[in-house]
Amino acid sequence: MAILNLKKRQIECKIVYYGPGRCGKTTNMEHIYKSYKKQVTGEMISIDTEGDRTLFFDFLPMGLGEIKGFDVRVQVYTVPGQVQYRSTRKCVLKGVDGVIFVADSLAVRREKNMLSLKDLQHNLKEYGINIFKIPLVMQHNKRDLAGEGLPIMAVEQMERDLNRQLKVPSFPASAISGQGVGATLKECLKLTLISLKREMKLGQ
Amino acid sequence: MNIVKKIKTLLKEAELYHSQGLMYEAIAKYNDATELIQKNEQLKNKQNLLEGISKKINVLNKDISKIELAPKKPEVSENIQDLIKKMYAFSPDMDEGAKALEGAVALAKFGQFKRAISDFNELLKRDSTRVDAAKNILRCHMALFSIDEAISQYEKWLLDDIFNPDHLNKIYIFFESLLNNEGVEKTLPKTKEQVDKVKVAVSSENDQVQISEPKDAGLEKSETVSEGEVESEAGSEDVLDVNSIGISVDSGPQKGHVYEFKVRFQLGKVVSLLIPSRDKDVIENFKIGSEIHDVQYYSNVGLFKGSGLVSAVKEITIGPLRGDYCVDIEVMVH
Repeated sequence: MAILNLKKRQIECKIVYYGPGRCGKTTNMEHIYKSYKKQVTGEMISIDTEGDRTLFFDFLPMGLGEIKGFDVRVQVYTVPGQVQYRSTRKCVLKGVDGVIFVADSLAVRREKNMLSLKDLQHNLKEYGINIFKIPLVMQHNKRDLAGEGLPIMAVEQMERDLNRQLKVPSFPASAISGQGVGATLKECLKLTLISLKREMKLGQ
Repeated sequence: MNIVKKIKTLLKEAELYHSQGLMYEAIAKYNDATELIQKNEQLKNKQNLLEGISKKINVLNKDISKIELAPKKPEVSENIQDLIKKMYAFSPDMDEGAKALEGAVALAKFGQFKRAISDFNELLKRDSTRVDAAKNILRCHMALFSIDEAISQYEKWLLDDIFNPDHLNKIYIFFESLLNNEGVEKTLPKTKEQVDKVKVAVSSENDQVQISEPKDAGLEKSETVSEGEVESEAGSEDVLDVNSIGISVDSGPQKGHVYEFKVRFQLGKVVSLLIPSRDKDVIENFKIGSEIHDVQYYSNVGLFKGSGLVSAVKEITIGPLRGDYCVDIEVMVH
């Protein structure tokens, strides 16, 4: 849950990149770190292991400037995607305000995408969060691999597989080139801030 | 597509999957290519191709082994450990002790046991966190597979003056259940005198160079707590860690209905429940100061029955849990 510090007039919220292993969550964050220097307020921290797999999480602090007199700070995290890190993923999700689900467009990863989305729903539920209510944005990553000759899924198929019920905003992307990365994050931040504003109004 | 082209496509796909870090997918493509080559008798350089693919598969298998054998939760730098602590100690409502405790628990969750133990040791100095810190120190030792270390730490606490008898009893019950869950058969001493007795027995054994049966570590059966006695232990000031509770409604339209709620957290005898807005009807039974009869408390050890005193009822007004209720109940076991 976002932290509201009335004394310092600060809002701190948490965005988490979720998705199957090797789908490009860290690559998304690396692109943000390189391309949004103005908004990035500190170093990106990556904890990875053999084969560049995220071990615990990646972390990037960002500042969105002032909104209605409040200094808005965002902490962006990624989770480790490999199946065996389930408990770590759950830990990283604690206190989440907005989620970006990165789906892998490779046809061979179809099932992994669906399992990861189910895992997200399950872990959110453990914190009492409904996947249909939390600000959530979907990204269909690795669209560039079609040009390399690898079989990728059509966006329509991915929407059917993953977004038929959720109906959340989704973006085609190629995190390696940066295409779609900014748009995905901006949409998630927008939805998260709208949601926070609504909660703050209701909480008054 | 002719056979050569098909093989080339499969090999290219395998390379690309490998470059994406998708090892199993790459191996699958190499296997498809191998099958295709083996089936085709007229292919030139057939043996060379198969050997080349076999080498590639070996490299992939080595990479997979490296990944699988890498430590799952290695110790990370102090900076990252500080970040892990910060990630979890953020609730503005918490006092310093509770924040520090949550941070140390987070370190343990991420496998940073040595730093966690050091932080929990600091928390032993605070009244409010002493027992929880002690329990977590034992947990960390167990996670580091040093059961002996955990037992020796526990025995040291029995000899020290840090804990009062009530605290020691709580730690005893917790530790015994922890050992049971791990399948460790060990009769723990409950008091300083019992530790001394064991030490004297061991030292006299050493003096006399006699071999005796170390069956019960010099403890009398009546001094240990059997599983059946846990319920009565919980009836005193000690409350086991409660995972969930069942409440039978005894009045109103919901009379006779049993509700089950997960315990969000527990502080000593007080358990905190999250009651979803859909169970709003049951909230009416929770008046601050009122006693709820017929409550079933589910712990790791088993179920115990009792009643509960409602100490707080709060509606959550912001966040994803908005509309739900947070209810604190003091466990009372008769």
